[in-house]
Amino acid sequence: MKGSSIGYLLKEGAKNVWVNRMMSVASIGVLTACLLLIGGAVLFSINVNSIVGYVESQNELKVYLKSDITDDVRSSLDANIRKVANLGDIEYIPKEKGIITFSKTMGEYSDLMAGLEGDQNPLPDAYDVKVKDLSALNATVQALQSLEGVDSVAAPVEVAKSITGIKNAVTVFGIIVVAILVLVSLIITANTIKITVYNRRKEINIMKFVGATDSFIRLPFIIEGTILGLLSALLAFLAVWVGYDYLLSHLTQGAAGWLSLAYKNFVPFDQVAMKLFIGFIGAGVVSGMFGSMLFVRKHLRV
Amino acid sequence: MSERAKRITRLGHNYLDPEAKNALIRFSGVSKVYPNGTKALKDVNLKIDDGEFAFVVGSSGAGKSTLIKMIMGEERPTKGIIEVNGYNISRIKHRQIPKLRRSMGVVFQDFRLIPTMTVYDNVAFALRVTGVNPRDIRKRVPYILGLVELASKAKCMPLELSGGEQQRVALARALVNNPSLIIADEPTGNIDPELSFEIVELLNEINRCGTTILMVTHEHNLVAHFNKRVITVENGKVISDGVGLEWGP
Repeated sequence: MKGSSIGYLLKEGAKNVWVNRMMSVASIGVLTACLLLIGGAVLFSINVNSIVGYVESQNELKVYLKSDITDDVRSSLDANIRKVANLGDIEYIPKEKGIITFSKTMGEYSDLMAGLEGDQNPLPDAYDVKVKDLSALNATVQALQSLEGVDSVAAPVEVAKSITGIKNAVTVFGIIVVAILVLVSLIITANTIKITVYNRRKEINIMKFVGATDSFIRLPFIIEGTILGLLSALLAFLAVWVGYDYLLSHLTQGAAGWLSLAYKNFVPFDQVAMKLFIGFIGAGVVSGMFGSMLFVRKHLRV
Repeated sequence: MSERAKRITRLGHNYLDPEAKNALIRFSGVSKVYPNGTKALKDVNLKIDDGEFAFVVGSSGAGKSTLIKMIMGEERPTKGIIEVNGYNISRIKHRQIPKLRRSMGVVFQDFRLIPTMTVYDNVAFALRVTGVNPRDIRKRVPYILGLVELASKAKCMPLELSGGEQQRVALARALVNNPSLIIADEPTGNIDPELSFEIVELLNEINRCGTTILMVTHEHNLVAHFNKRVITVENGKVISDGVGLEWGP
């Protein structure tokens, strides 16, 4: 195909968006609505995951050391504990510090602790350890317990179980919802493009009789589909942006207690903007382009 | 050797054979059975020479459309060989069909203009598909529109024109590529009788310049008026073929 032909076909594709503006508006509307739904579902599950992730990160293990531990073992344990997988912050709490923290938690009954300082301190030395992924808690606990010099490990197993459950449920549910929406969008978009192409089957037919090659006919349709996909993606992105920011600013104001904790962990839009933008553009262009390609082909067999 | 001569040589003919040289369209023992069992054509033999003007007549369902479709490469014969402009229709490849169609111009009963393009663009389109450069398009299209006396309507949309004018646009589109063959499938079917003569007269003039014309029609008076070769098709067979022949109602 010659350069002048390609220039003409590109222009023709762009022109067709305007010439067939009723169908263009319909296609953009459908595609934008679908992208909005998908974007909403993705944002929802990202946020739930972020909140659950925050709760997860607050979980601590306590690793108690043996009381008769030697200095050699103690220093090798300090190195070894840092090699255990799936651990976040690791803080060494000597028993002198532990008893102070403990008596603080006793509040007004802290005098009960009197006389337990120094040699009388019943607490063992310990590590406060944060776990990254709660679903692997059991393996982590076992790994810690097998280290030399460790007496016992206290872990919030029940809490971990329920948080892991919630997280898995949210992930699975999110994937299912997004998958269904993507499927529905594909069907609706495909149908819209099918109607667009069907409306112009005569035009395609005429082009064939004048001696146009398949690619000569197809290219303007592909350009048209791509432009419609791009426009839909931009519209959907702007709508999600405005809507999401509006929602965030309203929710975070005047929230108290537990809720404010959740709201603080909402993912700000600029953190997901780039991925969402690329995703939208990709989905819009791919469905516009391939949809046109697929359905024009049917009418080329003359 | 010309492009057409090469293709004909490839078909296995001796190009120097005067018979082969002059035949633009040749049907040899052609039958067509559609997948639903309809026998559209039965053992048709036909030869149309370069520079001829022929009418194809016959009642509806006689097989005229199938004949035209096969010349355009839209349908393939079930049996027999069809040669058009040096292409073997029985074995033509899908990607060769555009080239076959560029070597002919087609005019339909329903005009088949693209409604979203201006008159100018409709005519120019036939050149654009062949990759003619824009400068030549700008020269050629006004010239052809002048020939069919539509130069002043270049910027109009097809639906703003009368039936006769639309058919002249279609004719301009068929002519613009300088084809060796023009197929007119009932070109006067949708226009007023007085304008019908005008269209056929235009075709006749084009024929005088050397272009082969094959025109399908229903109209007795047109056929009677222009004393040309008449090919009568009935029940999928050519039942008569000669100059100025009359045919039954």
